[in-house]
Amino acid sequence: MRAFNFYLLFMVIASSLTNTILAVIGQDDLTVYFTLNVIVFLVITLLHVYLNPRARRSLSAIAVVFFVGFMVIVLLKVIDVLSS
Amino acid sequence: MAGAIFAPIAYFLIASIPLTAIGISTIMIGFTSLALANARPVISPEASELILKTGMENTAALLEELGLRNKAIYLPSSLRGGRPQALIPLKDTIELARIRKKIPGRLIVRYGDNPEEMAIAITTPGSFNPDKLEINLGSTPAEIESATTYVLTGLLDLANSVTVNIVGNQVTIEVNGARLHYEDIWYYRCLGSPIASIVATIACEALNKPIRIADESFEHGKSRIVLEVLS
Repeated sequence: MRAFNFYLLFMVIASSLTNTILAVIGQDDLTVYFTLNVIVFLVITLLHVYLNPRARRSLSAIAVVFFVGFMVIVLLKVIDVLSS
Repeated sequence: MAGAIFAPIAYFLIASIPLTAIGISTIMIGFTSLALANARPVISPEASELILKTGMENTAALLEELGLRNKAIYLPSSLRGGRPQALIPLKDTIELARIRKKIPGRLIVRYGDNPEEMAIAITTPGSFNPDKLEINLGSTPAEIESATTYVLTGLLDLANSVTVNIVGNQVTIEVNGARLHYEDIWYYRCLGSPIASIVATIACEALNKPIRIADESFEHGKSRIVLEVLS
């Protein structure tokens, strides 16, 4: 399936670039890496709207899990800001 | 799996945040690959090709045996009891006003009152029910293009991209990177290539009018299909 191949290729290239750029600029916070990787995943999934319905359903389920992780990070940051 | 092992090692033993991030990215890509692998069809592409060719050969044998050379008319589901199909008339000329009413769901059908107004109604590669595919079919070129791209690129992976133009009663569709090409065989002369058949079905369903494949050509990796809207 070429559409699947393109999707995965974009994912690998985009996440590698994100991690490399963040490492080069000296980012040392794991939550930043995770958050940006989740955003990259969501953007690339959104751009590939023509994937078949089964694939889209599976990817949406994964996106929900990643988004929950992202929200947990946001919540922890908010608690940190409020408590300090 | 590799990411799940590498991430804790990178975090606790190597104490490197960028390497841990690479581990996490690998886990994310692993989950994505797993999801996409589960979304693949149960039947292998080789088996699907075999079934498609068998069906095509049987239909071609039927057409040759009956001596039918006329171009098929693709009918929307509203004229064929909920499922779009192609009608191959026995006569060279066909009065479309005769097929305004619903045609019975049989192989050999009568579309008019005269004895010679007979045709065979067959299922083509594009004869799927659009409602089951969650497609929003509209009559504008952009909506037809969107539906065709979704089916050919996303669902069937038969092409890279599709462009649709409508001028008068002609719908011109250009399919880039088409994986199934036109061949000069009896079946294709009557019904068009499988890709042409699929786009004709989508167009006739979107416009809710009978459609005939007027021309089909393949040049420089691009398939050009001209559909004639019959009214």
